[in-house]
This record gives sequence, structure tokens and C-alpha cells, in this order.
Amino acid sequence: AHTVLYITGLQFVLKLTPHTPAASPSVPGQEDIQAAMPVEELDPSHYPATRAAKVAEHFINTRYGSPFAWFGSSGVKKAGLEDMGVLGTKYHIEFTLKEMTRNQDMGLCSAEVLFHRADERKPPQVQCTCSGAFQVNTSAEEEDLYQRLRNATSLLSGSDIPNSVGHIDPEMAPFWHLGGVASSFIMLRESNESTLLNMAHIDNFTQMETKDAQLMFQYDILLHDMVSQEILKWKLLLSWSPDGGVKVLEAEWDPKCQAIPTSSILY
Amino acid sequence: TALILTSYYILSKHFYLPANYKNVQCTPVCKQRQHAKSNKTRTSFCHACFVTHGILIFCRLIKGHEARNYDYTIYHPLAEISTWMGQMVSENPDVVTLVDYGSTYENRTISLLKIGLKSDVTKKAVWMDCGIHAREWISPAFCQYFVKEILRTYKTDSKVEELLKNLDFYITPVLNVDGYLYTWKDNTTRLWRKTRSPGTDGCDCIGTDLNRNFEANWGMVGVSQNCCSNVYPGFKALSEAEARSVVDFVEPRKNDIVCFFTIHSYGQLILFPYGHPNVTAPNYNELAEISQAAAKAIKAVHGMTYTVGSFAEALYPAAGSSMDWARLIGIPFAFTFELRDEGSFELPENQILPTCEETYAGVHSVITYVHNKIFYSAAITASATLWTTLLATWFSCTFFS
Repeated sequence: AHTVLYITGLQFVLKLTPHTPAASPSVPGQEDIQAAMPVEELDPSHYPATRAAKVAEHFINTRYGSPFAWFGSSGVKKAGLEDMGVLGTKYHIEFTLKEMTRNQDMGLCSAEVLFHRADERKPPQVQCTCSGAFQVNTSAEEEDLYQRLRNATSLLSGSDIPNSVGHIDPEMAPFWHLGGVASSFIMLRESNESTLLNMAHIDNFTQMETKDAQLMFQYDILLHDMVSQEILKWKLLLSWSPDGGVKVLEAEWDPKCQAIPTSSILY
Repeated sequence: TALILTSYYILSKHFYLPANYKNVQCTPVCKQRQHAKSNKTRTSFCHACFVTHGILIFCRLIKGHEARNYDYTIYHPLAEISTWMGQMVSENPDVVTLVDYGSTYENRTISLLKIGLKSDVTKKAVWMDCGIHAREWISPAFCQYFVKEILRTYKTDSKVEELLKNLDFYITPVLNVDGYLYTWKDNTTRLWRKTRSPGTDGCDCIGTDLNRNFEANWGMVGVSQNCCSNVYPGFKALSEAEARSVVDFVEPRKNDIVCFFTIHSYGQLILFPYGHPNVTAPNYNELAEISQAAAKAIKAVHGMTYTVGSFAEALYPAAGSSMDWARLIGIPFAFTFELRDEGSFELPENQILPTCEETYAGVHSVITYVHNKIFYSAAITASATLWTTLLATWFSCTFFS
């Protein structure tokens, strides 16, 4: 059986353009979050910290990602773990951010990643502020791509990105990034303390007909979880426009390709 | 010979020699000579030119595509790697032998290259396996590069020569042969990880995770007993022919093997034992030091950061790995290298060379440390003892005579 999930209108899909200056999503009551429990220092290069940073990466991509802006952590500088009791476990991390399509240093970010208790099956909660100038001026390229796709006589599609030897055609690169950003919505939601998710491969993508301003794409994507080593197949329906940003409209996990839930793993 | 020369002469009239054939300047020179004074000079020169090289070229054409032209910057399918292994032997017969040491589930041969200067006494050795996990293509690419590099440099680099003099290297370019071949089938099989052995006990999926199949706290952590899982450790330890092949070769040599490398991707990590979180290696600090030095050596090449730690601390808890098993049977220095990049198994080919260069520096750093510890600290101890004795003797003679 497939799990079909409609994500239209979810709160965390914001209409931010990628070149909005550092609008850090602040949460009311943030100042109340003092160290109620002592924060245990973590080795910033080891997995508890890097998994939390990966979640923060996904969070940033859902807000600021685009076909020309795709973000990744380039190293955790500081990490601490706070036991929140029944609430779960909170990671305090400081990491350097990179815009990956240009290999551009974006400065330091600090984030709090709250993993709920495993039995609650809730996605992690992230708060993140980035200090550097969060300006990735991609408006020209985005507008160019957007207009080209809107005015094209045929609908665009692509497959096997990258190919077996890691090659991505330059014209396909924006769709590779777009897939990565869209995957972040899923990866953010599916993350827990025992996962480390990356987009591994785009099986294929197809541009869909739309009547409104948003461009629409159907993607067949493979995600990789480092901890279980599983390849997870997801079908995504997503929309994008320079003004609207990236939104995931529908997401469907196809378990035909792997038959076991990650919870069967002994940790 | 006459037949060969005649046919080559005829062919050379009509075909250019391959442009990338390094040693032959013949074609452009001969063509230039066509503007020389007389027809006779031109013709004689060309004939001489072609004949001189003709024999060489023809012999090489017969021998097949020469390994000197082997491209270490692309991924090679299994058949090409096998041919390459044979060529490494035939081109370096004094230092390289091919050892078939096992077979896979689908009955393919598992081979390694034994590299080292010949010796009358049993030598200490270094083990390196690549391609335990089928989809990690950069791993076999590195093993091939490593072999190429030590063979290229041992005659001119005295340090490498010393390593080959004192150590034997056992290099397995592809351990999970069945799996590797499967990943070359088509783009739906590219991300296969495990072996290709069938499931058991009514479980319908194929394959066991080779790096969970060794006798090292087998099945305890970081595994799933569902045979469809990508971390299925097998229905029992050493259920896999590939794992047994490693054990059958390494175990009898465990007192001689001083260093054990297993090469993987992705993640950019240098990991040492153990994968089980509750087990600490007795030489943990030393392993950490060596790994830190290797990471530094890696960073010096292209600036890439590799994370260092025990497997359980840096990556995730996992039992049954080849590295853990090697350490448990007493091989003192065992490492897992996870190569580039930080998100993908499909590393672009233009990153093969820089990845191999930096990894070589890291591995070389480890091997040098281990080598010097074994072969120099003994000498240092001996000479220190000698000097101490001499000084003591002089002292006592001077003051107590």
C-alpha cells in the first residue's frame, strides 16, 4: 500500500524569495528557552551533531532553496545536547553554511533542533538564525529559467540525474537543485536522531501543465538514509516560481523498492 | 617478421599512427619530410621511421591496449579491471603477483595483487580491500590508483622503495564482485549495496551486507534481521563466500599483517575500531593520532576535510565489519576510509583523480607511521642501548679506575 500525503498549505511552506535578506524565522518565547537542563557538549564532527546539522540544512532549504540556491552545512563548529525530558532531545548547533551551486560561503548559522520522542512520530522542530548576509542573488537566473519554461512549446522532462558516472548535464543542473530543495521538505519531516538523509538520485522529472503562475513538476526521487543505508523512493508533485518559491503539493512514498521500515534496525 | 613489416608498411601508407601514442613522433615528422628535397630521401626516411617503430607498435597492438594508457580518471567495469590486473603483473613481474583467493556466491573469482620486492624471509604486510559495497564506485577506483602510484614511484622514490622492500601489499580492487557487476547492469541497479546471495528461511530478498557479516560482535547492533534490509548481516556470521574468502586469506597471515584498510564511500571519514559502541580498542589513542595525521595529510592535498573517530562515535554503531574483525584477531592498525563526497555514491568522474590523490596521501601517511614504528623504533632502541652502555662504561672507567 502506498502512503499518500497531501501537504498543500502546510504552515512551514513560506513564500519567501531566495534573495530576501536574512529574515530569520524567530519563534515567540525563544528567550524563554534557557538551559533548563545542562547542555552536554558534543564532538561537532561526530554523528549526533552532524545529524542535527543535516536537519537544519533541510529546514533552510525549505525556506530559501530554489533551482539556483541549494544549501548545505560545511562543518559544525559547536554542538550541545539538551535532554528535554518528555519533550525529547534538543541539539544546539553552530555550523557554517554553504550555497552549494556556487560553492559560496554563507557564514555562520546557529540552530536548535528538537527531536521529539521516537514513539511520537513527529517531525523535528527547528529554529535557525544565520548571521551572514543571506543574500543569494539569483533573481536573474530564476526569472530567465521561469520565462523559458513558461514560453516553451513543449513540456520539459529529464531522467537519470546524475547518471551512473555522476554526470549532470548543465541544462539539467537547476532541476537537480530543485529536486534537492523539494526533497528537503520530505527529509525534514522524515528525520529523527537515527537518520541522515540525502537526495541520492532523480529517476525522472516531468513538467506538468499549469494554468496559474506556478510551474509544476512531477519528480521520482531516490533518497538515501546513511544509518539504515536504505534507498527510499518518493514521488513528489511540486510547484515553483521565482515569487512563490518551492512548494511540495503531493508526496508519496513507494515502498515497493524496499520492504522494511527503518524501525527494525537495532541501534 | 618480413610479413609483419610488409603489412605494417602497407598499412602505414594509408593510416596515421594514433595521435596519442606518446613515443612516436613519426607521423608528423614523416609528413613534414614529404616536403624534403627528393622523393628518394623522403621515402627512405619515412620507411626507416616507420620500420623502427613499426615492430614496437605492432607488438603492442598484438599485446592489447597497454596499461600505461589505462585511464585512472574514469570508472571501469569489472572486465576492464580484471584485464588491468593482469597487465599490472605482466608489466611488473618482479614485484607484482596475482593471487586468486576466493570466489563469490555467483562463482566469480576474487583476486588480489600482491605487491612487494622479493625477499627470502617472510615479510610484514598491508591489506587493502576495495568495493565491499557494490555502489561505492570510487573505492575500486582508488585501489587501482594506489597500485598504479606505488608501482610508478618505487623505482625513483626511496621511501616508497623502502616500503616495498619491507612490506608486502595485498590489494583487492573489487571484493564484492557480484554486486559490483550488478551495479553496472543499468541505471536501476546502480545503487545496489549488498552481495547477490539469495534470502533464506522464506525471506524473499537478495543480498547480505558484507560489512556486517564478519565475526565481530556479529548481529549485535546496526543491523536488521530482515533479509530485505540493506544492513542485513546474513543468516549467520560468515554466511557469505566473499567474507569467508577474506578470512581464509587474512587469518593465517594475521601475525604478519600489520595494517588493514577497507575503502568505502561516501562521507569523508577516517574511522578506526570499533563499530560496537561498548567496545574500545586498547590502542584507541594511537589509532586516533594516526587518523588525525592522515586527515591532515588529506587536507593538505585539496583542502578537503575528513572527519576522524571510531566507527561507533563518528558514524553510527555497527557490528560485524571487516575492520572490527581484523582488529579483534590482533591486527593492530585497522582503518575504514569513507571517501568523497558528502552526499552521493555517484561521484562525478572529474573528482576521481583529486579524491585518489588525497586518499593516497592519507593512506601513505598511515603506512609510513606503521612502517617506521616497526622498522625504526627497534633500531632506535638498539642504538640507544649501545650509546647508554658506552657512556656508562666510559663513566665508570673515568671515575672509578
